[in-house]
Amino acid sequence: MATISVKNLSFSYPTEDGQKPLTLTNLSATFPSGGFSLLTGPSGSGKSTLMKIISGLYPKFGGLVTAGEVRLGDQKISEIPEQDRGQLVAMMFQNPNQQFAMDTVERELIFALENQCVPPAEMMPRVDRALDYVEISQLRHRQLNSLSGGEKQKVALAVIIAMKADTILLDEPFASVDPIARQLLLSKLAKLQHDEHKTILISDHDLEDYDQYIDHLFVLNGTGDSLKLLDKDAAERKMANFKRQDTSKQYLSLPAQTDHSIIEAHDLNLTAGTSTLLNQPNVSFFQHHITLLTGANGTGKSTLLLAISKLHPYQGTLLLNQKEIAKIRNKQLLQEVVLVFQDADQQFLNVTVTEELALSLKNSHTPEYFEKRLPDFLKQLQLADLQDHVVYTLSGGQKKKLQILEMLIMATPVMLFDEPFTGLDFSSLQTVMAIMKQVAQDCQQTMVIVSHQLFGLDALVDYHVKLENKHLQYVEGLA
Amino acid sequence: MMKYSNAWHLRDIILLTLIAIFFGVIYWVVGPVYNILTVALTPVGLGPAANDILMGVWVMAGPLAGYLFKKIGSATLGEFLGAVVEMFLGGQWGASTMISGVVQGIASELGFAFTGYKRYDWFSLNLSVLTTTIVTFGWDMIRNGYAQYHVGLLIALFVIRLVSTWIFAGVLVKAIVKLLDRTHLMETRTR
Amino acid sequence: MNPSLKFLLAVLIALEISFTSVWTVNLALALMGLVIILFSRPKLKRLVLLFFVPLIPAIALAVAILLQSNAGMHFALVLFTRIYAYVFVGSAATLTTSISDLVMSLEQNAHVPSKFAYGFLGAFNLLPKIVSEVNIIRAAGNMRGQALHFWSPQLYFKAILASLDWSENLAEAITSHGFSEGAPRTYFKQIRVRWWDWLILFGSLAALQFVLFGLHLQ
Repeated sequence: MATISVKNLSFSYPTEDGQKPLTLTNLSATFPSGGFSLLTGPSGSGKSTLMKIISGLYPKFGGLVTAGEVRLGDQKISEIPEQDRGQLVAMMFQNPNQQFAMDTVERELIFALENQCVPPAEMMPRVDRALDYVEISQLRHRQLNSLSGGEKQKVALAVIIAMKADTILLDEPFASVDPIARQLLLSKLAKLQHDEHKTILISDHDLEDYDQYIDHLFVLNGTGDSLKLLDKDAAERKMANFKRQDTSKQYLSLPAQTDHSIIEAHDLNLTAGTSTLLNQPNVSFFQHHITLLTGANGTGKSTLLLAISKLHPYQGTLLLNQKEIAKIRNKQLLQEVVLVFQDADQQFLNVTVTEELALSLKNSHTPEYFEKRLPDFLKQLQLADLQDHVVYTLSGGQKKKLQILEMLIMATPVMLFDEPFTGLDFSSLQTVMAIMKQVAQDCQQTMVIVSHQLFGLDALVDYHVKLENKHLQYVEGLA
Repeated sequence: MMKYSNAWHLRDIILLTLIAIFFGVIYWVVGPVYNILTVALTPVGLGPAANDILMGVWVMAGPLAGYLFKKIGSATLGEFLGAVVEMFLGGQWGASTMISGVVQGIASELGFAFTGYKRYDWFSLNLSVLTTTIVTFGWDMIRNGYAQYHVGLLIALFVIRLVSTWIFAGVLVKAIVKLLDRTHLMETRTR
Repeated sequence: MNPSLKFLLAVLIALEISFTSVWTVNLALALMGLVIILFSRPKLKRLVLLFFVPLIPAIALAVAILLQSNAGMHFALVLFTRIYAYVFVGSAATLTTSISDLVMSLEQNAHVPSKFAYGFLGAFNLLPKIVSEVNIIRAAGNMRGQALHFWSPQLYFKAILASLDWSENLAEAITSHGFSEGAPRTYFKQIRVRWWDWLILFGSLAALQFVLFGLHLQ
């Protein structure tokens, strides 16, 4: 058992010209021993950075502690030898795909125990117990690559349990985890806290479902210079506020009989690894309309968008303008349909903001329309002064805005958006939605938007389709 | 100037292997081009020329790794890891792939070694292109029986290989490195 | 057979037949490789591929010798069989060894530093993701009206950027799973080199020398 104490901590990612802008500035907080703490804050505030400093991964893997320290109990984290650290603190990462060295579940657990120099005879009992604890004994010999996001995170927790880590850190662990797996993981964490007095710290920008588990709520502000523990009342208010996004009373219409479908699915079947995500007799997306697609994490929304872009295989029929998508050539298809990726970095092809915009303008379906409006759009999005900037080093919000703009410029008939609003502050969100609406109307586009963030969307979208129980259904309510 | 250490850390090794695999996967895309070229040239006895025409593509990983990591042995290690990956994917050359990997790796490494691992510029890259062409050609004289060809063909194949290597392992690698250098991500992210 | 020694043997055989010209030996090696491959019960598709994939370079080299040199039929046959020997001997090693066993053996028997062993293995296990990332990069290009080919710098540039990201994530995760460069580790699965491993290695090499140089098969 150990208290995590952060004392006057400042942290920087030095730039290439030797400057040291602070990502975290003079933070202090104490995460109580044996407690279940939740660390929240807007995306880009530095939650992940703080978690990695606490786990001892930073500054080894990046950045620089410019002031202050982090202690685990009475030891400075930087002074704990790497090979002893595993028993004190372990981490579950945001991206479930890049956290295993080995090929199968069992081998990964054994790998971690070998690293801790556990005698071989003691390994199997520990592996058995850990898999049993997380209820994944049946996954034991499975290839990690064949598991779903939720299953991978269960394996990650099993590794932490097998390692007997005293403090468990989880960095936005549920981003691609389905609701059932999420509930199981949370209840297992609570059990670890109660039965074995583990200290648990989760970072998440999403507060849903946490209220029955957590003891302490910490808030990191958007600029990374204030880290506060909320008192009980304030915490309850914050949790309650998060639930009511004030979208519950907003209603949309259902598609009309006269609507013309542009994307159609018949007996569509989508799978991830060995599990079925979607099993859909019939559904359409309608031309010249903006449709919102919602559903819990890990249920297959992104996979559907990937399938429409021919980046994920499907069974059954999936038509674009009455043509089978699997049979359309990539180049031709992607001139009709573009996918705005969840990860903005995947969209960029060049180095600077100017080059990115120039490429889109060069190949746009309607270059004149955008040439006229581009300066204004850039100003509205506060990108005008960043033209020579390297796109990969922009802030999360700036990346998102640039990405959406450069894809809008392409003016393709169909646009698919995967979580386009993550990391946008309130005013940017308003601007982005207004521009999307304007372009969609002027260029007669069809849009499908996957989004968790629902605030203000009633002004943008026409229809709402929900993905639940492997099934898509149009609904009237926004929430 | 950044200081480059010669020690390999876990992260460097993963990065180098990932790059090698990416190249392996991209070569996979090129595979059919090689087969078509070979089939087309075989009736006139020039099938092996396909190998020389595409040689630059196979040997890109070496100079790129040398340029990116600026460590002793990085070009060799890059090519060798690429070859191991290729062999496990079931490449066309089987067990000799690993030997070729080492040969190609040392070949491109020589270019950097001759400049004492001090220069990482257009000159050392060109030197690496030259050493790669000469050494790999020597290996093919033995392995693929090039030594038996008439002198005219031999010279032609050498020139084709030199041009191919210069275009891919020289010009293209330079273009890739230039894009990367402009982002400054190699300096800020890996050290 | 011990994985490290198995691969060493495969490479030594490949090296030796590169410098010698006895087609009957090449053929015999290919056949022995094939027998080992068949014992590993490969899928039919894989087996068919194994026969056809080397066929193109093998024919190309043989025809080139016939048309473009004075070396004649015998040397053409040598080159043709040499390629099959390479591929079948190589596949006999790869198809009967999992990459994780090879890596563990390299760590325990060949004393390759564990950072190389597990760094390589962790990266190799991302292979399926790498294949889909290449598709995503090309799709991102097509969406912007820019087709990316194997001669496009952007294709490699984006691949390296993705590698930068992933290598950081994976190295952090492996470290978080208790791995420390150069630190001692225990081994759940002990991979040993037994006397018969050495016997197979040296026996095979001795037999190879005998048929290549002792029998005067030419």
